[in-house]
Order: sequence, then C-alpha cells, then structure tokens
Amino acid sequence: MTESLLQRDKNDAAVEFSRPLRLSVTEDLRGFLAEKIGHATLFSITFLSVLAVMAIFYFVIQESVPFIFKGSFGESIGRLTEFLTRTGWYPQSHDNPEYGALSIIVGSLYVTLGALVVAVPVGVLAAVFLSDIAPFSLRQICKPIIEILAAIPSVAYGVFAVMIVAPWMQNTLGFTTGTNALNASLILSIMALPTIISVAEDALSAVGREVREASYGLGATRAETMLKVVIPASHSGIVAAIILGMMRAIGETMVVWMASGNASRIPSPWWDLSQSVRTLTATIAGELGEVPKNTDHFHVLFMIALLLLLFTFGLNMVSEFFMARFKKKSRGL
Amino acid sequence: MQTQLRQALNHLFTLSCGASVVLLVAALLLFLIPMLKKGAVAVLFRGTVEFRKMQAEQFDRGNEEALQKEIEQTAQSRQEIYAILDQFSRGIDTEKLTDEVKGLYRDYGDELRYKDTPKEQYTKLRSQAKIIRNHLLDAFESIDKTEINEYLDAVKVFEKGNSFSGTTVEKMFAVADGFQKTIQHVDLSRRGEYAEELSVVKEELYNLFGPRPEEKTPQLAMRRFGATRWDVAQKHLSFLLWQEKWVRSDDGQSMVSRKVRRDDPQYGSFSGTSLLPLFTLVEETLDISLKPRFTFYWQYFIDDSTPGHYFGGVGPEVLGTLMLTMLAMCFAVGPGVLSAAYLVEYAGDNLIVKIIRICINTLAGVPSIVYGLFGMAFFVTYVTRHPGILSAAMTLALLVLPVIIRASEEAIRAVPQTYREAAMGLGAGKFRSFITVTLPAAGPGILTGIILSLGRAAGETAPILFAGAAALAPIPDFGGKWWLQETRALSYGCYDITVGDKLAMMVPHKQFGMVMTLVMLVLCLNIVAIFVRSRMSKKLRGA
Repeated sequence: MTESLLQRDKNDAAVEFSRPLRLSVTEDLRGFLAEKIGHATLFSITFLSVLAVMAIFYFVIQESVPFIFKGSFGESIGRLTEFLTRTGWYPQSHDNPEYGALSIIVGSLYVTLGALVVAVPVGVLAAVFLSDIAPFSLRQICKPIIEILAAIPSVAYGVFAVMIVAPWMQNTLGFTTGTNALNASLILSIMALPTIISVAEDALSAVGREVREASYGLGATRAETMLKVVIPASHSGIVAAIILGMMRAIGETMVVWMASGNASRIPSPWWDLSQSVRTLTATIAGELGEVPKNTDHFHVLFMIALLLLLFTFGLNMVSEFFMARFKKKSRGL
Repeated sequence: MQTQLRQALNHLFTLSCGASVVLLVAALLLFLIPMLKKGAVAVLFRGTVEFRKMQAEQFDRGNEEALQKEIEQTAQSRQEIYAILDQFSRGIDTEKLTDEVKGLYRDYGDELRYKDTPKEQYTKLRSQAKIIRNHLLDAFESIDKTEINEYLDAVKVFEKGNSFSGTTVEKMFAVADGFQKTIQHVDLSRRGEYAEELSVVKEELYNLFGPRPEEKTPQLAMRRFGATRWDVAQKHLSFLLWQEKWVRSDDGQSMVSRKVRRDDPQYGSFSGTSLLPLFTLVEETLDISLKPRFTFYWQYFIDDSTPGHYFGGVGPEVLGTLMLTMLAMCFAVGPGVLSAAYLVEYAGDNLIVKIIRICINTLAGVPSIVYGLFGMAFFVTYVTRHPGILSAAMTLALLVLPVIIRASEEAIRAVPQTYREAAMGLGAGKFRSFITVTLPAAGPGILTGIILSLGRAAGETAPILFAGAAALAPIPDFGGKWWLQETRALSYGCYDITVGDKLAMMVPHKQFGMVMTLVMLVLCLNIVAIFVRSRMSKKLRGA
C-alpha cells in the first residue's frame, strides 16, 4: 500500500496532501513497535560487549577454579599462598610439581615498570610538545608517526627485538644474553608511548586557554606554566594515560615472549635488568600449547590468566576513576 | 640573573620536549629502516641459475629452453672445478679409495665366475688380484712416500704382465696411477687434516653449486639446489676461501687466531697441493658458473614455501591472514557500528549505559593472550569444536570489537548536530535520519576505524595461538569445510620463523621478508586510513 502511495506521489505532487495527516491506529502501533523493537535490538547488540566481558571472566574463572579448590579448605589456601608467594615454577615435574608464580609476577612487574621509566617522561614531554609547542603543521606530521608506531604489530616488534636489538646488546654492550629484561622493557616502552602520548595530549589540551594565559600574564615562562599550572591541572588525565600505557605493557605477549629470555627467576641484584626474566603473558603463551587439558598445569595457566585479567581490570577501573574525575574537573573549570 | 636562569630552564624544557619527539621519530626509523631494508632483500636480489632451476622445478616457472642453455653454459666451468677436486680427493680420501678397490676386487671375482673361467686359471688370477688389492690397501694406509711407491711399483709389475687387460683390474691400475700422481704433492703425514678440510671444501662447493649432475636428486628440497642468491653465494664463497687458523704472531711468541685463505702459500691448509688452483678458479669463475642476474621476485607474496621457508614465499601466510581478518571483520563490523550508534543516538546517561561503557573499556584492555585463552576455552570448545579459521576469526572479532565501537562512536559524534536537526526538520524520524544522514556523514570516519582495526587484527598473534594458527598447516581446501581447518598466518609465521624454526635461521632474508610483508600490509592499511581521514576532515571543513 505504501508503495502505491509513493508511486502516486511521484506522478502527482498534489496527491500528497490528500493523505490524512493523522496516522491510523495500526500505523501508529506499527511505528511504536518498530521504534521499541529497534531500540531493543540495538540495545541487545550493544549489550554483547557486556556479555563478552562476563563470558571471558566466566570461562577464565571456570578453568582456574579446579586448581585452587581441590581438597580441603586448608589445602586450597595452601595452594593459593604457594602460587602467590613461592618462586619455584616446575609445573612439568612429574613427581613433585611446584606452582610458585612469584618470580613470574615479579618478572611482569620488572618489564612493565622498566618500560614506564622510559615511556612516561618521554611520553609526557612529547605530549607537551604536541599540545603547546609544535606549530599546527608539525603536529599534522607527528600524529601519523605516532599512529604508525601504535599500529606496528607486536610480533614485528618482537622480531626486531630478537634479530636486531638482542645481537646488538650481546655484541656491543657485552651482555651475557641479548634477550633480557632491558630489551623487553625498551621495546615495550616504544609500544606504550603512543597510548600515553595521545591520552596525555588530550588531557593537556583540555585545560583551558585562559588558564595558560593567566599564568603567562603573571610572567611565568612556558616551562613554569606547563610544569606548575597545566600539568598539575590535568594530572588526573595524565595519570589515566600512564595507567593505560601500563595496561598495554603488562598485557603485551609476543614481545616479552620473544625478547625477555623466559627464565623464571627474580634478577639478583634486583636492579640488574640485563638478566632474563619471564612474564605472566609469556608463560601462558609458551606453555599452554603443550599442556594436556584438565591437568593442574592447564588450570594453573588459567589462574595466571585470571591474575592478569584482575590486574588489567583493576587498572582499568583506576583509570576510569581518574578519567571521570578529569572530565568533571575540566567541565567545572 | 634570576631571569636568565629561568630563561635557560625554559629553553632546556622546550629542548627536552622537542628531543622526546625526535626520539620517537628516531625509534620509528630505527625500527622501520632495517626491517624493511632487510626484508626487501627477499624480493629484490641477484638470482643465480640455481634460483631459476628451483623456480622451474618447484613452481613450473620460466623458460625451459633458456634455462637448459644456461645450465649447459655453467656446467663447463663447474666441471673444471670438480675435476681438480676429484683428482686431489683421490689421494686424500683413502677410505673411499679403499672401498673402491675392495669393490673392484669383488667385481673381478664375479666377472671371472661369469666368464666361466677354468678353475686353475681362476685361482691364479684371483690370487694375483688379491695381491694387487693388498698392495694397494697397504699403500693407502702408509704415510711414507717411498714405501707407497714400492707398493705401487709392485702393482705395476702386474700391469705389464698383460694378463689383466680388458678386465676390471685395469681400473685398479688406474686408481694406482691416480694415487701416485696425487701423493707427489701431498704431505702424507697431514692426510687427516686434509681430509677434514676437504670435507668442508666439498660441503661449501655443494652449497654453491648444488648436487653434481651425476648425483641422484636428494629428498630434501633445500639440498636440491645450490646457492640461489648471489649474496648467499658470496657467503659460501668466503667460507670456501677463508679459514680460521692458529698461526704464530708477528713477534714470533704467541699463537693467534687469524683468518687466512685456504690457498695461502704460508699458512693455508692446502698450500703446495694440487688442490691449490681450485680456489682461485672458483673465485674467478663464480659468476660464470652461477650466472647471477637481477631478479624481482614478486611471486614471493603468493608462492608456497618448502619446509622451513628455505625456498619459496609467503603465499599461504598472506592468504591465511586475509581470510582471518576478513572473516573477523564480517563478525565485528556490524555489531561494532550498531553499538556505537546506540551509544551515541539512543543511550541516556543511566547506570546500564555506564556499565556498558566500562565493559567496552575493559574489553579493550583485556590482554591479548587472555583473548587467546578465551578463544580456546569457548569458541574452540563450544562453538566450532575444532581449532580452525572460524574460531580464530571469532576471537579476533572480539578483540577488535571495542576498537571499532570507539572509532565509530567518535565518528558519529563528530557529525554536527545541525545535520540531524535538518533531517528531522524535513520530517525524518530518528532512525531514518540516522540511516540517511548521520551514517553517511560519519562513513569515512567509521571506515577509518575499520581499516585501522583490520591492521590490528592482521598483526595480532597471541589470540590465534591456540585458536587456529599453525606454522605448517596446509593451504585450506576450499572444497571442504575450510573454516574448520587450521591455517598459517603472517603474524604467527613471523614468530615461528624467527624463534621456532631452526631451518629458517639459515635464511635470514626469508625471516625478514615475512616480517616485512606483515609490516608493509599494516603500513599500507594505515596510510589508506590516514588518507581517508584527511580527505574527510577537508570535507567537514567545507571544501
């Protein structure tokens, strides 16, 4: 019926006005239903993300629970404390397997913090450069460079670390092994930089022009304005940027798997980054392929995944908190 | 003073800000230049006749006649080299000679029996042959030249006797002759050393020229051809010519390790031997016996490879990556764009929407390896029941979903409110104004997001580790259930070829070639995205 109406519309424009302006009850109902159903469909599609998060948590917990809850309550606690506080990681041992993940957790923290030590100052300074110092044309050039840096696949960075950085470290710097915590940290810092820069730059630009002008008006130099006024004003945004960069670094798999050396021990002395470490992600990637399903070893790897998931989820919550605070503040200013 | 200090600090600050950006650019260049340069060598290089042979045999490519002609041309100069080698090795490789003589003796016995020789004559001839054999064997074992000559002369006595003419024993005499000639130039006490060095020389010659024409074709593809590339040939040539040797240092006191040529008159292993001319001959005629020619091997991107990527290209990997990413996009684009539309156009500011947003952010922050675990625990176990292309694509789709949602949301939000108002003012409903006005206006932005997430999906390795990527998977059979088969992928291939595969470590150009392919793919996608966006921003500015 609508089609014929349209047909007529085309032929004779005057006919259009002969249509009643009021909708009939069925038409009204149809429109109402279409609106509601459309809304519901869109909502349920959007809700997929929530379902996905819940499913990820569900499956990771489901597979990791058998590792902890086996035997009596006391045993469960014992296994959990062993997992979190011991450093012996010998899951493949047939007679006496040990599941102490402390050195692996520490290894993850090593490379992550090592990456942040480089990435945070460079990232924040670069963000300052892009938001306050660089002219528009230079910024137009820098943006794509940062994007490309972010887009390069992690496995390509990993190959770079193994094939180019590691021999360089071994031959030129004289390290005993080229695949070590420092190598992984350096590459991770490059990977975390784009995240840090783009979020920090947004945060810096969101601080109003009048704040800067007030500072300049008081006679402050640019360095003083940035360091004492703008950066403190946008600190929650910058913290969120750092946390997002940290998430990127801690969740990264291929680079650390290839470049960190995969030795499950805590470096001693503690500051010696030229030693090999092993991270949470690399442990999963390296071992899961060879483990039979439904063994303790299999479940403990999911336990590691759960740990990672909780880490990133917690960090995400913290960054959300800072972001929300930053948004509220910048709206208020 | 105070002002000057403040000014100086200010400049220092500006400088360090600039320096960090310079550092960033330097990091990118430091990464890209070696990766692309070393990778380009896989495609652009000087291919030798061995390369063209390999292409003809493995991929049925090239002009058969021209190739045959080339092989004939190269065969001649190679033959000269082999002749020198054979002549020398006769005197050195006594084990081989021993075997040969023993074999000849046995053959002679068969021959006599076959001819139905009378018993008396048989015993006589046989015992004489045995004496010859024993003399030869003694000669081979001895390290004293005069002693050897005595043995060989004793053999020659039988040769003059003429009773063996036209039989297998003549071959034994020939062996004796050859042996006598070679030992004139050989220091017999160093025979063991020679034998060791000779095996190196033989191996390197094999690496240069492949199996000899009379040898039978080896099983392994990598052993079937010599140096297919001029740079590899140069490498093997230097292995052939140079050796690491402990020599007395110039002050005459200590021993130092030094690289010397094998034919060096003073230090070389083969100084004063008949093998000497071989080295200069190989060096001078290498381009004649290999015929290097500049090759643009564009088929690298579509060719299958032999095990360990020793020969061939990355065709299956490219195909696998394209299938995975396209399939992932099929799953992710629809929900992603619709979710973004809902979040911008419909969602209010209530608790549920807040939770949805947090979940999207969480999804974006989940480590990629956890996606891999989830893909294995859910998609592989419950959905497809078999690790394969479909489960890997689904895992990747989940990974890029938040990326697409965010990019689309931003794009839709960037459409000016006036567009919507104009559409509604013309009587369009919310839905219709979105479909006909907002979505087309946001299209390029959404497209940019999709292209970028395509690059992300192509480069991710960890999620597909356990969900369907394999290093040696066959090319999917499109007649059957291809979506349940495991596939090769560029990203996983990059990992495997650099860390997992021992064979591939011998061919670094192939390792870098695969990484270059992946990086180029991602770079191209990014450049397209940047291009689309710059056009879009021009349009929005009203050009």
